[in-house]
Amino acid sequence: MATITGQSGNLTRRSITFRGNFERYAYTFMRMSGIALLILAVGHMLIQHVLNSTANLTIQFVAVQWKSWGWKAYDMLLLAFAISHGINGLRNVLEDYIHNRATMAWINRFLVVFVIATIAWAGYAIANFDATRFIN
Amino acid sequence: MASLGLTLRESIRYRGRSGHYSWIAHRLSGLAILSFLVIHVWDTANAHFAPHIYSWSIALFKHPLFAVGEIGVMAAVLYHAFNGTRITILDFKPEWWIHQNRSALFVWALFLIIFVPIGIFMFSGLLGHCSELASVGQSCWTIPRLSDFPPIN
Repeated sequence: MATITGQSGNLTRRSITFRGNFERYAYTFMRMSGIALLILAVGHMLIQHVLNSTANLTIQFVAVQWKSWGWKAYDMLLLAFAISHGINGLRNVLEDYIHNRATMAWINRFLVVFVIATIAWAGYAIANFDATRFIN
Repeated sequence: MASLGLTLRESIRYRGRSGHYSWIAHRLSGLAILSFLVIHVWDTANAHFAPHIYSWSIALFKHPLFAVGEIGVMAAVLYHAFNGTRITILDFKPEWWIHQNRSALFVWALFLIIFVPIGIFMFSGLLGHCSELASVGQSCWTIPRLSDFPPIN
């Protein structure tokens, strides 16, 4: 990445251009979102699958929770962190096994679109969920 | 993908001990959570877009096969969360890497202490659900039909 741009005597001048340090941000993001998910995802599992149970789950139960903007915000945060953390993790795994750069570039494009589409679709659903359709 | 077979073979043969097992468990639990998560998110969005399909799917998720899978997801989330915390701490404190082996064993112990009671509790919940249905002459093994869930206006 360093290119020789001029020489004077024994000194060599190089101008250094950095390519985007996306991977460094991705690395930090995995740890930061991981800490958030330690509370959001583990909390979600304990609340929905231990304190409550899938055996009793009905759409009315969902409506009771999504009647409040607090639960909507919790689930939207969980959605955004979990999908982006999970898909970036998948990208890390795939990059270990797929060495063709062109193939990987296409997979990355697909994954970006998938993350945006999933968060947009499910986020729209949570935001616009109307609890009064199912409970009073 | 030619390296996939090699990876699978070497993942078993490689004698990396504690750190190696943590690495495998972290990857597998992460991939397991993700494959569940993607289905879960697109399914739950149906609570808004198509409530009758959502009602059908949560009836399906009460089937014993899904209930056992749910216990697996619980295990995966707990292990991934604890081991991820360990990775994060060691990444920010490289001088603590001398405790790598001990920290990996600690994570396994913490995971077992927390997961085992929860797993037993969830499994007994499944048994209770099945015996409740059996007492009214129904079976928890019946797969619900979408046609039994008419569209909600």
